[in-house]
Amino acid sequence: MNQKEIIELIDNKFGIVKSNIYDEYQLSVVVKKENIFAALALMQLNDFKELSILTAVDWFDRNVFEVVYILFSYTHNQQLILKTEIERDNPEIVSVMKLWEVAETYERDVHEFFGIKFLGNPSLKPFFLHNWLDMPPMRKDFKTQQYSDKVFGKTKEEREK
Amino acid sequence: MIQTSTKDLHDSGFEKVLNFFRKRSMWMLHYCTGCGAMELPPTMTTRWDMERFGIGPMATPRQADLLLITGYLSIKSLKRVIRTYEQMQDPKWVIGFGSCTINGGIYYDSYTVINRLSDYIPVDLTIEGCMPRPEAIMTGFQTLMDAIQKGEAVGYKKYKENYEWYKKNQDSVLGRTEPVFTSSEVKK
Ligand code: SF4
Repeated sequence: MNQKEIIELIDNKFGIVKSNIYDEYQLSVVVKKENIFAALALMQLNDFKELSILTAVDWFDRNVFEVVYILFSYTHNQQLILKTEIERDNPEIVSVMKLWEVAETYERDVHEFFGIKFLGNPSLKPFFLHNWLDMPPMRKDFKTQQYSDKVFGKTKEEREK
Repeated sequence: MIQTSTKDLHDSGFEKVLNFFRKRSMWMLHYCTGCGAMELPPTMTTRWDMERFGIGPMATPRQADLLLITGYLSIKSLKRVIRTYEQMQDPKWVIGFGSCTINGGIYYDSYTVINRLSDYIPVDLTIEGCMPRPEAIMTGFQTLMDAIQKGEAVGYKKYKENYEWYKKNQDSVLGRTEPVFTSSEVKK
């Protein structure tokens, strides 16, 4: 399958929102939230056997989270970036653990750092952060400088007051 | 506030005789989570050879007397460092290595990297630089040796005297029970 065929295949089944070809080996396709699981399953059947990473981007101005799945196929020698956008308030998306079991760890990581809930993932427990009680730190409205000042102190003199 | 400063605790009398021997035989435990650790291999081995000053690497905290913190510490690793430090036997010294241990370095605004190591454990000497070259490390070691000889490197006594202050700081990052930002601050 070449890049055009990949895009066509997804478009015929689900109707894509946007697609982009970066170079010979890399392309991205944006689909609707309700189609993402089916699109991933379809691509897995079409030899995109490897989930390289699952991550998220916070588009604060547009008030959406973009969930990004990067797939790789050794047969087609292509890297396929599947994306979908979800609401920023109360973000939820279906887990892809059924397709790739490794997604469990990625989803746990994205849940901790963005607060996105993956429905169907049983292990969304704290992961890297120690005793974290604030909003997820990778969200754009998290003020990291102020947090650092408050927790680790601005200057010695200021704190000893 | 720190109750007792380093000045009040200086070694004197017989301690000073012991110090003469201590300074020539230091076993170093290096906690290498920071990137600055990269400069240690050349410092230890033939190129700069720190063994000519009587400093050797040691694998366990219980037999070491010099703790080298090579750079940034996240809250999680701070916990381990405190544990390591408390396992070491007296007399013991701590070197903060790189800007990250002094003021947070390039991680000054990170949500999980501490800014000043000396708030949590007593640091006898800091070597600035990001990262410090082996020459700076060697100079640092010699400065520490001089300080030990003069009886000025008494961080471990300071830790005991001001344990409450250190403990309070440690707890403030490790044992938090409430969110840092109140809900009204989050909305803004
Ligand atoms: S001071 Fe620089 S070299 Fe050292 S740990 Fe920090 S960032 Fe890395």
